Amino acid sequence: MNILVCMKQILDPEVPARDFRIDPVQKEAEPGSASLVTNIFCENALETALQLKERTGGATITALSFGPESAEETLRKALAMKADSAALVLDDGRLARHPLNVARVLAAAIRRLGTFELILTGREAGDWGAGQTGALLAEELGIPYVAFADALETSGAQLRIRRQTEAGFERIEARLPLVVTITNDEHNVPRIPKVRDVMMAHRQTLTRFELAELHVAGDDYYEVVDLAVPKKETRCEFVDVEELARRIAEITAAL
Amino acid sequence: MTNVIVFFSDDRSARGLAGAAAKLGGDTRAIRIDGYQIEETLAALAEACRGAEVVLLANDAYSQELAPRLAHRLGGACAGDGSGVQRVDGRIRVTRQVYGGKAEAVLELKRSPAVVWLRARSFDAGVLPDTVEVLASHDSAASSGTRIVERHVSETATTKLEDANVIVAGGRGIGGPEGFREELQPLAELLGAQLAASRAACDAGWVPPTWQVGQTGKKVAPQLYLAIAITGASQHMAGISEAKTIAAINIDPDAPIFRHARFGVVDDYRKVVPLLRQKLAKP
Amino acid sequence: MNANATREIYWNVSHVWVMYLLLLPALAIGAWGLWRRVQRWRRGKAEGGRFDRPAMRIRRVLEHALAQRRTARDAYAGLFHRFLTYGFIVLTIATIVVALDADFGTSIMRGAFYLYFQSFAVDLFGALVLIAVGMAAVRRYGSRPKKLVYTDEAGLLLLAIFVIALTGFLVEAWRIEATNDPWRAWSPFGSALGRASAMLLSADAMHTAHRVLWWLHLAGSFAFLAWLPYTKLRHVVTAPLNIYTARLEPIGASLKPVDFEQERLGVANLADFTWKDRLDFDACTECGRCTAVCPAHAVGKKLSPRDLILQLRDTPEGAAVLTGAAAPEPLWECTTCAACVEACPVFIEQMPKIVDMRRHLVMEQADYPETMQAAILSLEKRGHPFAGTQATRLDWTAGLDVQHVGSAPDAEVLLWVGCGGSLIERNQKVTRATAQLLQKAGVRFAILGRDEKCSGDPARRIGNEFLFELLAKDNIATLGKHAVRNVITPCPHCFNTFKNEYPKYGGTFEVFHHSEYLEKLASDGKLNAPPKDEVTLHDPCYLGRQNGVYDAPRAISGATIEMERSRSRSFCCGGGGGMSFVEEPSDQRVNQERANEAVATGAKTLATSCPFCMSMMEDGLRGRMQVKDISELMLGAN
Repeated sequence: MNILVCMKQILDPEVPARDFRIDPVQKEAEPGSASLVTNIFCENALETALQLKERTGGATITALSFGPESAEETLRKALAMKADSAALVLDDGRLARHPLNVARVLAAAIRRLGTFELILTGREAGDWGAGQTGALLAEELGIPYVAFADALETSGAQLRIRRQTEAGFERIEARLPLVVTITNDEHNVPRIPKVRDVMMAHRQTLTRFELAELHVAGDDYYEVVDLAVPKKETRCEFVDVEELARRIAEITAAL
Repeated sequence: MTNVIVFFSDDRSARGLAGAAAKLGGDTRAIRIDGYQIEETLAALAEACRGAEVVLLANDAYSQELAPRLAHRLGGACAGDGSGVQRVDGRIRVTRQVYGGKAEAVLELKRSPAVVWLRARSFDAGVLPDTVEVLASHDSAASSGTRIVERHVSETATTKLEDANVIVAGGRGIGGPEGFREELQPLAELLGAQLAASRAACDAGWVPPTWQVGQTGKKVAPQLYLAIAITGASQHMAGISEAKTIAAINIDPDAPIFRHARFGVVDDYRKVVPLLRQKLAKP
Repeated sequence: MNANATREIYWNVSHVWVMYLLLLPALAIGAWGLWRRVQRWRRGKAEGGRFDRPAMRIRRVLEHALAQRRTARDAYAGLFHRFLTYGFIVLTIATIVVALDADFGTSIMRGAFYLYFQSFAVDLFGALVLIAVGMAAVRRYGSRPKKLVYTDEAGLLLLAIFVIALTGFLVEAWRIEATNDPWRAWSPFGSALGRASAMLLSADAMHTAHRVLWWLHLAGSFAFLAWLPYTKLRHVVTAPLNIYTARLEPIGASLKPVDFEQERLGVANLADFTWKDRLDFDACTECGRCTAVCPAHAVGKKLSPRDLILQLRDTPEGAAVLTGAAAPEPLWECTTCAACVEACPVFIEQMPKIVDMRRHLVMEQADYPETMQAAILSLEKRGHPFAGTQATRLDWTAGLDVQHVGSAPDAEVLLWVGCGGSLIERNQKVTRATAQLLQKAGVRFAILGRDEKCSGDPARRIGNEFLFELLAKDNIATLGKHAVRNVITPCPHCFNTFKNEYPKYGGTFEVFHHSEYLEKLASDGKLNAPPKDEVTLHDPCYLGRQNGVYDAPRAISGATIEMERSRSRSFCCGGGGGMSFVEEPSDQRVNQERANEAVATGAKTLATSCPFCMSMMEDGLRGRMQVKDISELMLGAN
């Protein structure tokens, strides 16, 4: 089975609020001192793919990223975690990075890379959190789609998927090819790569595409008309346990 | 000008969507989906929504799974997790949190229909149209590629977190499943509260993922949210921005949670919670 | 009168050639045993820098192998061990003198030398050896300290020494008695034993018994000589060798760089150790001082440096080592405080071996405690180990006029704040105090602010050498860009890294711990030292034991009370070696033990000078006593 995992490099979501600034003109977060990291759900997706490969054997995993030069780090990390190969579509800033554009770029790159039975993405990214790329990618590729999966296993020609819902979970049987988005679970916490593999990963070659060579037509699906940091800090009153109990009782009595 | 609201079995969400639709103006159609199967439902819904200018859905898993594809099939645009939606000069604008709750963005959708999923439960309830269209999926497993074969309702999720008035939530500082079982659960029972957790506690496997509250977990709106041993990263706070009162127990006086809490106790929860139970148990 | 004093060599003994016949196999067996150990060392990997500065090395051998300064820290054991050592040296010299006179035609053994040395000294030291055996036996079988290893070998060795010394005495005594030696007064113990024997034995019987016992004493001594290299007593050879080849730099410089091109990173197999590591194993005397001072061991954890070294000593060639005393669990309990290294009388370097093995677990297996993984991940992503912190590197500067080094070209020194000093709220106060003191003293300093990254200390101690190198090179490049020469830091871990580790990566700085710098400002009259007070001082391992800075923090903290364990024998706060990122079991907390020790002094304030010690001690004390950094105490006086 050929598995492709889409991976996005984002601004560190853990950047302290006091270091978080917004560029009001670009309507983007200012990189400032924040580091660039791999979106955690993309890592969950890669981990899920790696586990599927370990159980079934014979699968290959390709990591694909659309982003600036620095996104190479995300792909190197994917290789260190033991993805078999990696490809980068270099973002030249020509397209707004809205989910539909991203899905089209990814779909074009996937067609160039070969045939993939299973395509995984994270459920959403920790920056804009649109939560649409996987679904739109399925539409662009014209194949079915399942969201919020946390475990995959093969059963004959079918894929058995466990996915999370508000109420609990569901089991889904699916034929391939398929796009699945992955959410986090205790079983797909991304593995720590061995330093040995990190070193090896830096020696592997990446497939690289210039955005222009993929001939993707941009389509501004939405526009960011405002981006602001909301100011809302409450003053916390520090109390003892007795007082806490009294306040809680007050609130619950009023319900 | 036609708005379509699409919902599943959750009435509160449906009324929230109706409320949101009413503010947009125009006619509102309501579609309730029965017997969800991904590909069939999507195809039927795309058919049913043809001609609509706005399609509103809630932020449950099915809606999020459907919305972007629905927009794609209808040639429209999509935005999700909206905490607000309005029509400005004929265009739909969606307000939503971004960057893990650190910022708020307003997106203007450039194509029609605008397919939007909302934090429906935090909208003022509206009135559903007299007729609710029902969309039942056809059983055509052979052609569709995917099939939901089992729906498992977790015992701990029988009362919805989203409906809870009081939530007792634990984080990484709880230290293990015992802390949830032996300290938080009795407290929750005493308060008639629902239990919840931060992503760290769910990822550690201490509690089921259905308990997760935050940017990528449930968005809740209780009267009281008691955050125990939760640091309060913005990703977690993004899930409780609608909580009326936040109270926190944390050993670290500098934990960010105290910047959002109305009142708090700085101490080890292992000391505070037993004492708190004792005080609350007294009539 | 005494010029002719001597005795007949080989009195009452014939067929002396048999002795040489016996000596050959004894020497051969002994040499073979020793050679096998030497071969074992030679199979180790290369390691340089162990033979430079011979004068210093010889001095150290004299100080520690001969004068046995470290052994003597345990007064009782130190005493009997010296009796044994000096006794054996004296008796061996005496035997050689006999051989020289008998076989090489010299006549050393006469006159004053005969009387003072060959008679009196030999008699006295023979007696001391017997006393030492008695003292050792009382300790081993009476008081039974926990730190000892109770093997049959140890008992047999004591017995052998006892038998050899006793038979030697009897042979001497009976010769004196039977020949009515005119110089017997010079051998008081032998002479008295001779007189006593005469009451039991007839002259004839004594004659015969002497002859028999002479051969028995000889056979016993030769057998002992042959056996010695196969026992822990091989340390009579290996200990001086090990002390000679020991690291001359401070302990803080003892971690080796990793060659990333080799086939296995870190140590997982005996084959991965260097020749010096292997010599270390063979130098071990089983005295247990390392385990007795180990903080992890003290709070009931599994780690025992002694057991670890002994296990490695007995590991067969080519065998895996990460089991038993060197299993991952004990390895992850080490705080890298180096109390073991400092305590070892034969200069074994236990802690660096633990880090070598951690390197394998981290770099080849990626198998290590989850909370340490979180710290490492955070270091990789954000350059600091505190995952999830909402603090920033500039929070502490609020309201202070502090310049970034890029906009302060006239700054004379860089204040390297460290992650602990900027991202842990309690320590932000310490950093502020330090900055304010520097300002009061008129020191022109600047900071790196957001451009600062972790020095790499936690990565290195956890075992991720790769990440350490990345951070080190990054920081050295940043500092180079701003042409930084002088550095002050309130973090002993950063201090150690700058001082002992960065030079190997091309970063040479004049680095001061803030205690040193502030003390200098005080002695130059630019700042006041605080008055003496009821303050007790906790020595951070990476400042004190690992770099020898003890006096500066004392001078500027007003400390007047010492804890039971202080200075080089200070007890770790529990936070080194990445352990501050690990939640210890509540009944096995190193910081609790140290906190209790601080409370027991009755002091009002605990002073320290390390952000990690600060956190660990505040946590351990839970308000029983206030903890202040030396800079905070000093700020009060300025």
